[in-house]
Amino acid sequence: MKKLLLPLLALSALATPALAQTGTTQNPNRIDGYGAPVSPSVPVSRAADETTIDIIGGYYQQTGSHGAVEGGRGTQQLTDVPPAIIVNVPLDTVSRLSVNVGADFYASASTDRIDFALSTPSAHDVRIHGDFGYSREQKAKGTIWGVGTGVSKEYDYLSFNVAGSFAKTSQDGNRQLSLAGQVFFDQVTLITPIELREPGNGRGKSQYGTDTRQTYNFTATYSQVLTKRLQAAISTELVSQNGLLSTPFHRVYFRDNPAQNTVPTLSDNFIPRFPTAARIENLPRARFKYPVSLRLNYYASDLVQIRGFYRFYNDNFGVVAHTFELELPVKITPFFVAYPFYRYHTQTAAKYFAPFAQHSINDTYYTSDYDLAALSANKVGLGLRYSPVYGIGRFHVPGKNAQGLPRVMRFKSLDVRYANYQQTGSSIYLAADRADLKANIISFDLGFAL
Amino acid sequence: MTLKTISLSAHPRLALGLLLLPFGAALPSCVSVKAYQKVYLNDEDMKLASKTVETPETNFESYREGAGGANGGKVGGGCGCN
Repeated sequence: MKKLLLPLLALSALATPALAQTGTTQNPNRIDGYGAPVSPSVPVSRAADETTIDIIGGYYQQTGSHGAVEGGRGTQQLTDVPPAIIVNVPLDTVSRLSVNVGADFYASASTDRIDFALSTPSAHDVRIHGDFGYSREQKAKGTIWGVGTGVSKEYDYLSFNVAGSFAKTSQDGNRQLSLAGQVFFDQVTLITPIELREPGNGRGKSQYGTDTRQTYNFTATYSQVLTKRLQAAISTELVSQNGLLSTPFHRVYFRDNPAQNTVPTLSDNFIPRFPTAARIENLPRARFKYPVSLRLNYYASDLVQIRGFYRFYNDNFGVVAHTFELELPVKITPFFVAYPFYRYHTQTAAKYFAPFAQHSINDTYYTSDYDLAALSANKVGLGLRYSPVYGIGRFHVPGKNAQGLPRVMRFKSLDVRYANYQQTGSSIYLAADRADLKANIISFDLGFAL
Repeated sequence: MTLKTISLSAHPRLALGLLLLPFGAALPSCVSVKAYQKVYLNDEDMKLASKTVETPETNFESYREGAGGANGGKVGGGCGCN
């Protein structure tokens, strides 16, 4: 088997001279609607003159009992189907265009509780997003620069972004520095819980006000080949956010609020839920985030590789976090890889967080959103990738290539993975107040080349 | 004699050390690697980035946790889930 593997690996190296770089693609494509490609590098496994298409899909489902809409209690049940398509097109030998479009189809039992007009099935919404990027390579200088723009839209949220990036690779291809900046301009529709709306403000979207949020982020990634089998990348992403950072439909209940619940216009009664009135979550209008990460990949043997990741995170809300990830790709055959993975995350609480009904009305800022609680999380799962050299299949598509022959699309790879994710709340809280979110996600990537 | 169990959550430095142990053992020095010597480094699983198929997971983690960024995922902005 080893005799077969080595010539195949050597052949693949000769066939792809563009791979002779560190291969850093820290942010190959923010395919989630958060911006155009932040790093302009061409993914290392793809020939530079190939149009590639990735079809991404999956299914996400979560449960929990600390929904922020109800002030830190109530269901967190949510499902999401996030399809997306990423297309990378070479315009000529040095420039590429990338497009990624997608949507999130989600159903959230929690958001149903904004007005307690419970519906079945639960409230649902769609977020659509599209991002477009252009990159140009100066091969003699080893540089690539890129620009991009994007938009995303959901019922109560509209976002535009612009991005720019630059990468410089050393002559021997053993080092790369990548810099990127991105700015988001977001507009939030202020949909508040029904009992907290101004009199006369009903349910029409036009009756709600709006607020804005700006996010500026700067990413720097340095990657280095360390040995023939080991390479590393260190990355930081400095983020500054201004504007509305709280969510207008998140309630917060207080242990000492003398105000009573008002009876809403609908035939529901809030008093059994909690005797005193809620307020809308309130957070500072500026946030600074400082994550730093280290990625280390080691080619242990032809059978198994080791992929490690660590991130330290800090921000001015008081959240300090550590995240570890370990992935062990096992080559069952040269073209079929199974990769078990494990992720551990731990974070302290934001200084503005308290569980249900534990804030004081004298607090300036308050939230009961468990995303900002002290917790730890474990994720474990398994991925499978099948990518034979000549592809899984081929089929004709309209049009002709440069030689006048019919164009052939190659179904080159299939990647499927499943993960189970569980949060455990910190022991600093009472047992009933600890995070208990559980989630399952299955996702796939169908890779095509033209 | 009682057998104590060690929680990695209570010892993040220990967890980091365990994570880096195999790499430390394999790190003799930083050497200049020629292009023709990169047969291992060019392997698909040696890319210094998250896999594309991971993106939905990276997204939900950034929604459900107070920390994010420096991994190719969301850092804020772009959606109502702050």
